[in-house]
Amino acid sequence: MKKGKARSVFIGVCVAPAVILFIIFMLIPTFNVFKMSLYKWGGYSNNKEFVGLNNFKILIEDMNFFRSFQNTVLLITCVTIVTMALSLIFAAILSREKIKGQNFYRIIFYIPNILSVVVISAIFSAIYDPNNGLLNSIIGIFRGSDKPPILWLGDQKLVIYSLVIAMIWQAIGYYMVMYMASMASVPESLYESANLEGAGRIQQFFSITLPLIWTNVRTTLTFFVISSINLSFLFVKALTSGGPDGATEVFLSYMYKQAYTNSSYGYGMAIGVVVFLFSFGLSAIVNLATKREPLEF
Amino acid sequence: MKLKKVISALLVMTMTASLFAGCGSKTEDAPAATEDTSTEAAQTEEEAPAADAEEEPAQVEEQVLKVAAFEGGYGADMWSEVAAAFEASHPGVTVELTIDKKLEDVISPSMKAGDYPDVVHLATGREAALTETLTKENALLPLTDVLEMTVPGEDVKVKDKIIPGFLDTLATNPYGDGVTYYAPMFYSPCGLFYNAGLLKEKGWEVPTTWEEMWALGDTAAAEGIALFTYPTTGYFDAFTYAALASAGGSDFFNKCMTYEDGIWESADATKVFELVAELAKYTESTTVANANNDNFTKNQQLILDNKAIFCPNGTWLPGEMAEAPRADGFEWGFMAIPAVNAGGSGCSFCWFEQMWIPAAAENQDMAKEFVAYMYSDEAAQIFAKSTAIQPIAGVSDYLEGDNKMFYSIYDNGATAVMGGFAATAPVEGVNMLDTLCGTVNSIVSGDKTVAEWQAAVEEASDKLRAAME
Repeated sequence: MKKGKARSVFIGVCVAPAVILFIIFMLIPTFNVFKMSLYKWGGYSNNKEFVGLNNFKILIEDMNFFRSFQNTVLLITCVTIVTMALSLIFAAILSREKIKGQNFYRIIFYIPNILSVVVISAIFSAIYDPNNGLLNSIIGIFRGSDKPPILWLGDQKLVIYSLVIAMIWQAIGYYMVMYMASMASVPESLYESANLEGAGRIQQFFSITLPLIWTNVRTTLTFFVISSINLSFLFVKALTSGGPDGATEVFLSYMYKQAYTNSSYGYGMAIGVVVFLFSFGLSAIVNLATKREPLEF
Repeated sequence: MKLKKVISALLVMTMTASLFAGCGSKTEDAPAATEDTSTEAAQTEEEAPAADAEEEPAQVEEQVLKVAAFEGGYGADMWSEVAAAFEASHPGVTVELTIDKKLEDVISPSMKAGDYPDVVHLATGREAALTETLTKENALLPLTDVLEMTVPGEDVKVKDKIIPGFLDTLATNPYGDGVTYYAPMFYSPCGLFYNAGLLKEKGWEVPTTWEEMWALGDTAAAEGIALFTYPTTGYFDAFTYAALASAGGSDFFNKCMTYEDGIWESADATKVFELVAELAKYTESTTVANANNDNFTKNQQLILDNKAIFCPNGTWLPGEMAEAPRADGFEWGFMAIPAVNAGGSGCSFCWFEQMWIPAAAENQDMAKEFVAYMYSDEAAQIFAKSTAIQPIAGVSDYLEGDNKMFYSIYDNGATAVMGGFAATAPVEGVNMLDTLCGTVNSIVSGDKTVAEWQAAVEEASDKLRAAME
């Protein structure tokens, strides 16, 4: 009995640092975001005015917010689908096929992930340059260079896809490495017997590889949601500043604009609450929708 | 066994203790800091009458004045120099300088914790909008008594030294109630920059009216040169302000800035909207794609490469592009915005940086003294060496070369326009400058019509009017 108590004290002391840090740096700030969303406050002075749910009432009538909402959802969807497909394919090729210079490709694919988003934005600024950018120069070979240039960052219908491309380029390597790690743990014997039974490579991928790494894929889906929301802010900040005319405004860039540039900190926090609930909800839905019996091997 | 347990318990305790070490030292610091402040405050109180009574205080007391200054294109050296000169003329005062290009990021965390600088030099219109936020929160100290103070070391009052007109604008009296909250600092005329060398070479006259401008646009287009470009839409604030003042006069301009009902749909405002729409047709085709913070220099480069003729900007542009390659025979030209009404006068918006004292500043009397000192000849000359020109009569005479030409714009018949939108309580989701200027991108790319733009501006104006105090 006495030993049991000493043990729980010991455990308590051991986890205390982590718990305290978690409370100070996670729980309290999150709670404060929720609290501040109920106030009208500029961020500095002491004149906080309690306005109840008024910030949220303004929010549902704010067309600019809905535009940023749409853009974010579009980014999450496109980036997730394309990145997941591509990195699964690359991971499968690199871990199942025998290719010369496998490690070389692995590094090449992973490099964008090490680069800072600002550097990537600078690279893509150069690629998208209307006059002597890489993309327009290549396209110019086929459509003739006398045509007016395509404004990758200037055309309001195109610009969000220009962001999508940059974000996919940045993300592929990271997810590829994650998928490769779990593919490596799939026992070779399964593929051998599939080979003997005459299953082709594509069939092997869908019947063996994919089901066996499914738990990993599910986890990355949550990562996709969170990282798309976070990274889109950095890309927008560095690449387009939300322009032209708000066409690439996303959740967090709009929140920043409202909280700081527009001095409505409370309103910004209300947007923060929506983003919080949205990403939480979306992750939960994705998690539920992809739930399968885990396969043992 | 037991020893092992004791050791592990000790280890855990050390870990926990070291974890709190960071917090601990801070709590120890805190009372000390408070003591400091109280003594400082006491000192200030003692000092105040002495400072008012002019000349050196009877006994020298140590004071620390915290000055935070934005490091703009003029560089940081002039601030250290001015601070040193201030310390020399005010024995016992130590100026603690914070200079940064991203000043907001440096000072706002401690401001949120209640530790305010005594004097801040930071203009309005920046992205983080710290100045505007404090204004909207009524957290600034009125500078009325600073204007009545005598400039340290001289026998002129501050308000008599500042060029007339600079103190009657919404950029110094943000609430529009005649009370000055921002001290006008370095000013810079904004207008249209062009390559004077190109116009000379082609034999084109510098247009003085918008008709001549469009004619030049057509001539230039035939040679593959666009008439107009802009760095980012942010530069349309100065352009629009000048055009508004030119279209309807200064009263009209002030009504626009104070969100008078229907003012943005009036005939005079419509002229300005249509002017920008016409200009959009002559805008270089790739401008929109580069009109962001990352690529705006590519648009400015168009001027240097003779691909576009005019570009709205401020006098910092030649400095900003000093290292850039340029066409042969390149020569900066600078002109005001041509008159919107035939026969009227051209206008140039005069942009200036502001200095202010937070209401929560601890050392307010010395802060006021510092602001007053900014207008002394001594300080003005230090600033002028870095081409930072204050609105003090005669200071622009110190300039030479191109800079002299830029500052002489008002001597050549252009009317100076000053001010900016009146401060209101924050209105969630409404950003006037974004609506007024940001939309220009959509006008150029054809995504929005002038009517939609005008309606959106009027709507924003309506919402902001309701929030004016």
